[in-house]
Amino acid sequence: MVQSSKLCCTAGGGLVMNGWDTYKQGFDAWEKATAQLLETWLKSPLVLEPAGTLLTSVMKVKTASDKAAAVWWGAMGLPTKRDQERTLHALNELESRLLDLEEKLDAKTRS
Amino acid sequence: MSGFGKIWERIQRGRPPVGQTPGDVVFRENKWSLVRYRPKATPSGLPVLLVPSLINRNYVLDLLPGRSFVEYLVEAGHDVFMIDWGTPGPEDRYLGFETYVERYLGRAVRQTAKLAGAEKVHLLGYCLGGTLTTLYAAQHPEHIASMVALAAPIRFHDSGLLSIWTRTKNFDVGALVEAFGNVPSQLLQASFQLLKPTLNLSKLVSLIERSEDDDFLDAFFATETWGYDNVPFPGGAYRRYVEELYRGDALIRGEFFLSGRPVRLESIHFPTLAVTFEHDHIVPTASASILLERISSVAKQHLHLQGGHVGAVVAKKARATLWSKVSEFYRQHDERPPKRRSPKKPVAEA
Repeated sequence: MVQSSKLCCTAGGGLVMNGWDTYKQGFDAWEKATAQLLETWLKSPLVLEPAGTLLTSVMKVKTASDKAAAVWWGAMGLPTKRDQERTLHALNELESRLLDLEEKLDAKTRS
Repeated sequence: MSGFGKIWERIQRGRPPVGQTPGDVVFRENKWSLVRYRPKATPSGLPVLLVPSLINRNYVLDLLPGRSFVEYLVEAGHDVFMIDWGTPGPEDRYLGFETYVERYLGRAVRQTAKLAGAEKVHLLGYCLGGTLTTLYAAQHPEHIASMVALAAPIRFHDSGLLSIWTRTKNFDVGALVEAFGNVPSQLLQASFQLLKPTLNLSKLVSLIERSEDDDFLDAFFATETWGYDNVPFPGGAYRRYVEELYRGDALIRGEFFLSGRPVRLESIHFPTLAVTFEHDHIVPTASASILLERISSVAKQHLHLQGGHVGAVVAKKARATLWSKVSEFYRQHDERPPKRRSPKKPVAEA
């Protein structure tokens, strides 16, 4: 009984495996063909140039809206996002300069 | 447990245990830090400094126990350091190549040498990290004993999709940087996905096919975790990366400047190993191997391996094909053992 059940499972498993193998072969062929086709499209100026224009336009709209928000924010006497970025950047630069000096001092001490 | 059960169990487990090799943060500046890995025995030879890409997390080089390049180097007796670039904040939009190469990488090299008590270090740069190490090495060869350029793009004009996209005339990189400051990781991630749009589907089929294989599942979930854990590209550096490196191919033409000095690949005279991968769809072989044609080193080697940009670095077989070769290369070029080991305490545990 056990033996026949094993055989049955093996036969069923075999069928499943064959089914999977057939599917896998088909999938691999489809994937290869689709990847090649998509790569051709993604290299084509007919796709890239409008995509580039669209991306650039969206970026310009975002920049303009951010600037408008910053003007409004600044008019209220508050620091804008860009002001805060510049300040933090300056602080980081200062930290780096101090580390530069520390390194120079260390080199002098060792020599 | 069935294959699907195993997949579900791993999804429920959450983040895989990546970056497990014990190490300490020994230096910090702005967002970047320098990690020194704890040796299992007294390390020998010159220290090794690993430089990852700016836009990916560094734990790709320390993915999982048994699949970790860092772990291998530590076990092989090297004194291993690695840069963690951290996550740039909005204020880091102004950081350019000068800051990353001359200041941060330069400091990492000097700190590594100082902490290991050595005059020189062995460098390894992976992907964009390899471009950064090449730029630094050409400007400051005095601190470097040898260099490994692991899938490092040097010539950017090629037939690859990234090269074609960045050279699209209507794409205004300035507008992108002006709008976002740092280029968002999602945008970078989307462009990497578009390099092989069917890849995710193929991965899904492989996942189902090999769902009974625990080892495969561990590696799959760890690599996917890393793949989706990108960081933003600092705006200033991105602008030059696209405009000068990709569009102008300035590095190979000798027209790339750092702090007003042209970067000359011919200045590199120390032993150099360039590693390329057969199925690398991010950095084509010719783009990376050209480094060896341009440098003045007498000892230069090219190691071309099967596999892709990431797979070949994290696979278990990399122990024999890649990691051991790199370790051997460093051993061949160890000039002399370090003079002393610094007693300086670590800043924090990595």
